This record gives sequence, structure tokens and C-alpha cells, in this order.
Amino acid sequence: MKRYTQIMLLAVMALLVRNLAVKAQDATEIMKKSHMAYYYAGNDGAAEVTMRLIDKKGGERIREFTMLRIDKADGGDQKYYTYFKKPSDVSRLTFMVYKSATGNDQRWIYVPSIDLVKPISADDKNSSFVGSDFTYEDVSGRHWTEDNHKSLPDGQIDGKAVYVIESVPKKPYKGFAKSISYIDKDTYLPLQEEYFDDKGEMIRRLHADKIEVIDGIPTVTVRSMENLKKGSKTIVEFSKITYNVGLKDDIFTERYLKTPPHEYIK
Amino acid sequence: MKKIISNKSLILIFLLAAVMAAPVRADLKLDGFMQGLYGGRLDEKNPTSSEQTANESRLQLRLEQINDKSEFFGRLDFTYDGTRDGQNNDNYIWELREAYLKTRLGSHIDLKLGRQIMTWGTGDLIFINDAFAKDYRSFFIGRDDQYLKAPQNALRMEYYGGIGSVALIWTPRFEPNRLPDGRTLSYFNPFSGTIVGTGMGEQYYFAPALPPAKFENGEWASRFSRTVGTFNAALYFYKGFYKNPNGAIMTPEGPMPIFPKLNLYGASLRGPLAGGIVWLEGGYYDSRQDRGGQNPLMPNSSTSGLAGFERQIATNLTVNAQWQVDIMSSYDTYKAQQTGMHAYVRDEVYHLFTSRITKLLHSELVTVSGFVFYSPTDEDLYARLSTEYKYTDQVTFAVGANIFDGKHDATSFGQFRRDDNVYLKVTYNY
Repeated sequence: MKRYTQIMLLAVMALLVRNLAVKAQDATEIMKKSHMAYYYAGNDGAAEVTMRLIDKKGGERIREFTMLRIDKADGGDQKYYTYFKKPSDVSRLTFMVYKSATGNDQRWIYVPSIDLVKPISADDKNSSFVGSDFTYEDVSGRHWTEDNHKSLPDGQIDGKAVYVIESVPKKPYKGFAKSISYIDKDTYLPLQEEYFDDKGEMIRRLHADKIEVIDGIPTVTVRSMENLKKGSKTIVEFSKITYNVGLKDDIFTERYLKTPPHEYIK
Repeated sequence: MKKIISNKSLILIFLLAAVMAAPVRADLKLDGFMQGLYGGRLDEKNPTSSEQTANESRLQLRLEQINDKSEFFGRLDFTYDGTRDGQNNDNYIWELREAYLKTRLGSHIDLKLGRQIMTWGTGDLIFINDAFAKDYRSFFIGRDDQYLKAPQNALRMEYYGGIGSVALIWTPRFEPNRLPDGRTLSYFNPFSGTIVGTGMGEQYYFAPALPPAKFENGEWASRFSRTVGTFNAALYFYKGFYKNPNGAIMTPEGPMPIFPKLNLYGASLRGPLAGGIVWLEGGYYDSRQDRGGQNPLMPNSSTSGLAGFERQIATNLTVNAQWQVDIMSSYDTYKAQQTGMHAYVRDEVYHLFTSRITKLLHSELVTVSGFVFYSPTDEDLYARLSTEYKYTDQVTFAVGANIFDGKHDATSFGQFRRDDNVYLKVTYNY
């Protein structure tokens, strides 16, 4: 009898472990698919971006820029090119990022009023992007392999069925201690993301405000990030989105940093 | 008078063209800023004739048109300078800061033609191979960073290919650095052996003569640059003149400052290291009119080297440090000459340390920044401190200070020790 109980226990434990493994596998797989849908749509992309930075008193600042992106490999390295249009004190300024999926990113800025090309030390991916509530990492994506993922019970966001995934950074990270993503079961786009600090308090919340199908690819065209600690909010609107534009790799070099690709920034 | 009228009509034409063109050409963009800058000096013993280091209202107009293959850009500054006495309306100043056409020629060549501002090299406010005109009159009184560089009328061609890029720049008419001229900022006059300014007499207004406008007096600057791994490596060559009038010739009226002929050869390397950016640069200054160092009125040749490192050490806090070394050629000859003239004798090896600290606060709306130059061999220093607040996307407030100190009147920064100032700046971007 005792032996029988032991066997039963072992079997149950084995099942549990196996289930856990499957669950974990699923969660990582979902996050990978979501990352692909959100950050790697098409082989390249171009868009006009308007950021509205709203402080806790309701004061509003605008950032307008053209953004170009090219993927070296799906889920791998990417290059970003940004040409600022507004506000006028940063108009014509350009910015370039080589995003490394495994190592450190490289960033450059070009200040046209003094004809200055400058590489920027870029080990802090958690710093704010142009003063907004988005970080550099929010813009170009945190690689899914940097966190351990776990499935929570499925849920609903804005009437859509979602996978709910909890992610914890593998290495201690000052950006967040835990995040929960709500991933659309159809499109794998994140409809909401919540970031928590080490005390379990929510510090930031991302929401997909509008989703459109562009060139056959479901795309979040309006998203907002709330900073719950500061009481500020940033709303980003993407327009004139095109995918598989055929951007050449040499656009993402110092040459185009200094003289923008005119056909894309008009 | 005639000149002023033509200046005014030019501005009027520019404005009219801008206003009239705007509704017609949807692709023509007009923006710019208005700015007030007010600076007071901290040193009563200053020998200039102005109590203020700055008292100006500025309107900048920017005009831009982008086509599929080319880009036109113009930047015009119209300033009222209250530090001037107003004789002949000399306090109304206009300057065409930039007016150029950028275009691509085939798939490998970019052209930039016209009045433009140019920068290259790796140093942070230290320029070894960058022989483009600087404006220290603006730099020392708190004008925006963009005014550190003075424009040059130039033709720039850049070739981009598999081996890297090659830039060739021709400036037909030599463009010097804009240095303190004694009006609002004092300077060291080697002939009188003291720090001077126009408060001591209008003869101390410093406006050295340029090399004659001849084809052979044009400036040539070129650079070969390529990527090596994650680093950028570059070679530089410049043929022209020292940008400062640090030589002199004897005339019947006495010594006259001139811009000595210069060839400059250099190299640089910059890239990511240890979570930051590291840079190295070196250059050889070939003083063509005094290769052996025999002429005491001409600068000796020298070799300059620079090493720097920058890193973000905490969120929104970036720090850098640089070390520059300058070794004078034919030093013994120089030392003998200077000792005979009872003048300041610099060390054979000059050292300069600099550090910049930048802190962003309040969602990057506030920038607090400090930059210090310190030379242990010349025993002088220069500190730039500033705080800027972006009140809205349109309105920016800034306060700052420029502090100089030095043991000797003749050194790079020591000569400005009577020019300490604080300033307030308000900008409206439109």
C-alpha cells in the first residue's frame, strides 16, 4: 500500500513537472510570437510618428518624427533611423540606433546646427526616449530571452481574448521587477502591458488604443504609456505606415545621418 | 549708410520671399526662434568699454525645402546688439548663418554647396583636426552651442564607397576664428604685454587683416573615414592658415598680427568601450612660415594628442573626461627667444584636462551642465556652467556663467580672467 502511494505521488509529481514545463514553453513561445508581431512586422518599415507628452497637470508637448526600420533577421539585430520634425528646436536632428539582440546597442546623434556627429554611450536602455514615458527599450523592444515567462489564466482586454503572461527579468533590472502582458490570441499584439517595481506596485502601463491592418499586417497605430508614479502619459500615433519598403542598408549609416533620405522624410 | 540700406532691403526680400512662398509651396518650411540674451560681467577691472557682456535680441529665420533628390536650407539671424554704441546704426546686425544646397550626385557622391557650418574630429570642445572657424566671442558669453561654429562659404564633396568615405572641402576665402576683440571681452596683447580692451582706447579693438583674397589663399580640408568593427577611424589633412592670428610680421608702423600658413595632418579613432565611448585623436601642425622655429614672431610647429572617455554613470547623468597634450617643436630655440623678450614661456609639453558633467532632471526638461578646462602647465582654467529649463515646447529659460582664471596674462584662458560673466537667456521657438 505504502509502495503504491509512493508510485502515485511520483506519477503526480512527474505530471505536474511536465505540465509546468509545457506551460513555461508556451509562455515563452507566446512572448516570442508577440515580439515578432509587434517589433518585427515586415522586413522593414517606415512611419510618421507623433508623440504627445502629457504631464500630470495636463500640459502637452509634441514630438514629431519620421522613423525607418530595417531587420537584419527576424528576432535578431535591427537598425532604426529617426528624423525629427517637431518641436522646432530639434527639427532636422537625426538619430540612429543599431539594436543588438544579444549585446549592447549603438546609438548616434547628428546635430545639424553645428554639423556634429556624435556616438552616444548606450548601456542604459531604461532611459527615457526624448523625454517621454517610453524608454528606448519600449521603442525597439526588450528581447524575450531576457526574462522568464509564465502563463497566468487567460483573460479579456477591450472585449478580445488574451493570453496573460507574467515576465520576470533573469538578471536584476532597474526598469521593472515584474511585468504582465495581455496578448491578443488572434494577432499576438500586446493589448496591454503592466510594469511593477520590486514592491509589487504598478509603475507604468501600456495600452494599445487603436489597431489597424496595414499591408495585411495587424498594427498598433495608437498606443499610450502611463507613468503611474509621475502621473504623466505619452500617446503615440503612427501614420503613413508602410512595410517592406525596400529600404537599403546604407540609409542606416553616417552618410544619411548627415543628409537624410529625402524621399522618405518629405 | 548705403550698406545698411542694402542690408535692410535684403532682409525685406528674404522675409517677403518667405511669406509669399509659404502658401504656394507646401513643401517650403519656415521656422526659427526669437531670443533675448543678457549678460553682466563680474570683474570691475575689465578694460573693455561695455559693462555688459551681452545685451541682445535675436530673430532667427529658418527656411527649408526638401525635394526627392535635394535639399535647400537657409538660416538668417537678425540681431539688435545693445552693447554697441549705436553709431551708424551698428547695433543692427544681420548674418546669413547658412544657405546651402545639398544634393546627391549618382549613388556615391553627396554635395553641399554654399554657406555652411562644418565640424569634424572627436574632441568635446577640443579641436585638433577641426580647422573650421569657431566663434569664441559667442562661446564665452552664453550664446547657444550652435554659435560656437562660424559659417564658411564652402564647396563640400563627399564620396561614399566600400572602402569608406572621402570628404573634400574647399573654402575659397579664408575664414578665421572669431576671437574676443576688446569690445565686450578683453584679451592679451603681446605687444603691450598686458590684457587690453577698448576701454583703454579704440586702438585696442582687435581686427587682424585676413590673407589677401587670392586663389592660393583658399582653405582645403579633407578627411578619409571608415568603420573598423564598431570603431570609426579617420585621417585628416588641412592646408590653409592658423585660425587664430598667432603670428606677426614687422611693418614700418610696428608689428602686425597675421594668420600664419599651416598644414595639418592628423588621425582619430572613436568607438564604444566599457559601456561608454572612447576617443583618440592626434595631429601635426606644420607651421609653414617657421619650420625651424627661427622666427620669434611666428608659431613653432607642434604635435597635439587627445584622449577622452564618456559614460552615462547613472540615469540621466553623463560624465566625460579628456586629456590633451601639445608638444612644441624646436622648443629650445623658442625658449631662448622668449626669455630674451621677457615674455611668458610656455612648457615644451602643454597639458590640458577637461571634464563635462550633464544631468537631466524633471523628465529631461531641465538640463544642468558643467564643463571645466584646466591646464596644469599654463596654470589656467575655464569653467562653463549652465542650467536650462524647457518651460514649454516653445519657451526655454537658461542661466549660466563663464569663469576664467589664470596665473599668467598670456595663456589661452588666463588672458580672459577679466571676462567672468553671468547670463540669462530666454528663447521662443516658433
